[in-house]
Amino acid sequence: MKEHLPPGIAIAKSENLEEWQMDIQVLDDNPLYRGQTYRLKFTFGSKYPIEPPEVQFIQSAAPDPRPIPIHPHIYSNGIICLDLLSSAGWSPVQTVESVCMSIQSMLTANSRDERPPGDADFVSYNRRRPRDINFFYDDDNV
Amino acid sequence: MKVKIKEWNAIATWRWNMPDDEVCGICRVQFDGTCPTCKFPGDDCSLLLGKCGHSFHMHCLLTWIQQESSKGLCPMCRQKFEWKQNDE
Repeated sequence: MKEHLPPGIAIAKSENLEEWQMDIQVLDDNPLYRGQTYRLKFTFGSKYPIEPPEVQFIQSAAPDPRPIPIHPHIYSNGIICLDLLSSAGWSPVQTVESVCMSIQSMLTANSRDERPPGDADFVSYNRRRPRDINFFYDDDNV
Repeated sequence: MKVKIKEWNAIATWRWNMPDDEVCGICRVQFDGTCPTCKFPGDDCSLLLGKCGHSFHMHCLLTWIQQESSKGLCPMCRQKFEWKQNDE
């Protein structure tokens, strides 16, 4: 896989089949994401790829900073609201690479410097795992 | 000189009639290999050809179709998955 990953997508950790980490960059000149690298954590259950992996951004500080990208569908704790990661939107032909590409293009296409509505509350009170949350996909424009 | 055959062993090879390097889109193993739950390739771990043109290991596709969330759709194109009969 390593040899033919698309530009802006790299494996950061893949030592076992339970958890992988991927680094992604937005390659066009979007001022919201310019020059940054973001870290995605994939957690695979025993039923992957029949069931979706859990995918979220994770944060780390300098010297290898990995912020949580600003986006109206990404909470500041790294949880991503994206249809294809839910049981209803998932397909078992998706791969780590295709998921990274979808998230990369979700960032590329965004121009809104915003967190989702209710971000502060969600981040303080949510104890559920991402796949157990019933997101409302009320805005298909971003 | 007459040669009398006392015993012979026939050996044959087989493969699915699929392009060489094609893999099952679900488990990513070549069609000539098995799905992740089987040990031996062959009739016990066969392929399913969809009318939509997408093929999978039978076991991989059935595991998917049994999920409620699959809604009976092909994972590749999201049309209703219907398999081709042999004579089609």
